[in-house]
Amino acid sequence: MSEAWFAVRKELNPRRRTVLAVLSFLIPLLVWALVSYLPFLWHPKVEVIEPGDVSYFREGMQVDRDVFERELEAMRTEGLTPPEGRRTNPIYLPAPHEVATALYTAFTTPPERRNEQWLHESLADSIQVIFWGFFLSSLIGVPLGILAGTYDVVSRLNEPFIEFFRYLPAPAFGALAVAILGIHDAPKIAIIFIGTFFQQVLVISNTTRKLDPALLEAAMTLGAKNVALLFKVVLPGIITDVYRDMRILLGWAWTYLIVAEMIGTSSGITWFITQQARYKNFDNVYAAIIIIGIIGLTTDLILAWLGRRIFPWQRHGARA
Amino acid sequence: MKNPLKKMLGTLAGVAMLGMSAQALAEPLKIGYSDWPGWVAWEVAIEKQWFKEAGVDVQFEWFDYVASMDAFAAGQLDAVAMTNGDALVTGATGARNVMILINDYSNGNDMVVAAPGIDSVKDLKGKKVGVEIGFVGHLLLLNALQENGMSEADVELVNVPTNETPQVLASGDVDAIVAWQPNSGMALQMVPGATAVYSSADEPGLIYDVLAVSPSSLAANRDEWIKVARVWYRVVDYINDPKTRDDAVRIMASRVGLEPAEYETFIEGTKILTLDEARGFFEKTDGFDSLYGSSKLSDEFNVANEVYKDPQPIDDYIDATITDAL
Repeated sequence: MSEAWFAVRKELNPRRRTVLAVLSFLIPLLVWALVSYLPFLWHPKVEVIEPGDVSYFREGMQVDRDVFERELEAMRTEGLTPPEGRRTNPIYLPAPHEVATALYTAFTTPPERRNEQWLHESLADSIQVIFWGFFLSSLIGVPLGILAGTYDVVSRLNEPFIEFFRYLPAPAFGALAVAILGIHDAPKIAIIFIGTFFQQVLVISNTTRKLDPALLEAAMTLGAKNVALLFKVVLPGIITDVYRDMRILLGWAWTYLIVAEMIGTSSGITWFITQQARYKNFDNVYAAIIIIGIIGLTTDLILAWLGRRIFPWQRHGARA
Repeated sequence: MKNPLKKMLGTLAGVAMLGMSAQALAEPLKIGYSDWPGWVAWEVAIEKQWFKEAGVDVQFEWFDYVASMDAFAAGQLDAVAMTNGDALVTGATGARNVMILINDYSNGNDMVVAAPGIDSVKDLKGKKVGVEIGFVGHLLLLNALQENGMSEADVELVNVPTNETPQVLASGDVDAIVAWQPNSGMALQMVPGATAVYSSADEPGLIYDVLAVSPSSLAANRDEWIKVARVWYRVVDYINDPKTRDDAVRIMASRVGLEPAEYETFIEGTKILTLDEARGFFEKTDGFDSLYGSSKLSDEFNVANEVYKDPQPIDDYIDATITDAL
């Protein structure tokens, strides 16, 4: 293993790649742990343990360090009971172990009321919204994108408008979607659709255009006609790239989830996040955000694995 | 190639049809509610299935406050829980409604919270105040300013969604915020030394929390709404009875994800009204001790401050007969 770590445009061996992948997660985690557990690194606040004689201090309150020092000094010089406190990070930065606990208890806390849901049920709701939004978008977006990339007439007829529409922020359609589609999942699905569809058409049509023209020329030389070209040359030629595009687009669909779920009734993982944030339970908020990350990454890994099974001819490594 | 596609389209059409038929078949009364103790109390009846016992089909939908009024304005709800002032704002901007039930009046839960160093409303002169413009917090602020011989021109308003006010005050970008519980309490907690320079306890009756129904639903389902109101007073009894209060608080606290003991403090700033008390506030008088008087004053405020243009016909917004029928 004497290969160089830094070699221009040269792939590292599998073992090194795995090590680096693990490190890419460990380093941020380590930074987070250091900031959380080493008080001298940051900890700009003081949590009041014993208010002493400071009139406005309450047990459990967080104050800025200089405020605490000032009151401490004041109480000492006046001969009153000084406050006691412990240095801590702001409430919005809980320590890793707190978030880990929150992650665990969020899943294990049973619903207390009849119409309350387990966390995994809320998550299932959210995933369903994403699924339908993305599915409906792909149902129209993928064929349209391929046609636009293949036939100039389809492209000229659609793309100028789509280029215009994709700049309209999906959340802006929130109130409209509620008025037309009701308050439950439908307007949320619509927001995901609007957020995904227009990008999807453009991305897929671009991918289609990137198909090697030599392939088309060769096929035409061999006598292939319009429809045959589309189904026998274009489609097989771009299918692996389209699949990769879809993986990226699915990630985009996820980014619209939170705004989508803000619309209409409070539901899904967003309800959990906003409600917990309102009461400053930031450990739960981080836990929920991490859950979304894990679901996203896992889905992508599964899709990548599936892709390698479905398209074994795909150039190894280069696209995954 | 064709068959799977057909199948998919078929399924899709099926799903759509199912959705539509479900809407057409059962038509429960749809009620939007949000995070305010006087409305979270409905949760007790939902949990205990009292609506079913009363023989009325209702469907409660949980929202963020402003989103609930938007959904009502879009015609997606039969009724929504809001304040009497916001009922007028919602009505003036297109979604007429009738207040049939008073849940409570705010008794300290709505506050103007000011950063350390600002000890009275007068100190707010020339300062920045974060408030959700055009809604109940705005009304509270205007009332506070007026009582202290000032007007909106004396402060600089910053439009902030109510549930973000604690962070905004903590950031130091504004000198005060207007919010209700839990946000007002969180603001006090997050900014050490901050104080409530004014609260709804200074003007009880400025803010009534009501159930506002769309006129068409009220006309079509009058008897059903009477049943809903009857269930409400069962809830009030359950909360007020020392024997069952703990259970009621437990249910309410779990709706918003808090510990019961913590939630108890929020209920204190909300005066949940018994039937007799509510009847008294439905009497037509001029002051803040009547829903009519309070709404009239809100209306004048709203017009004077250009929240909307035309004065609203208050009598059309209030129907005391439902509460009287109990």
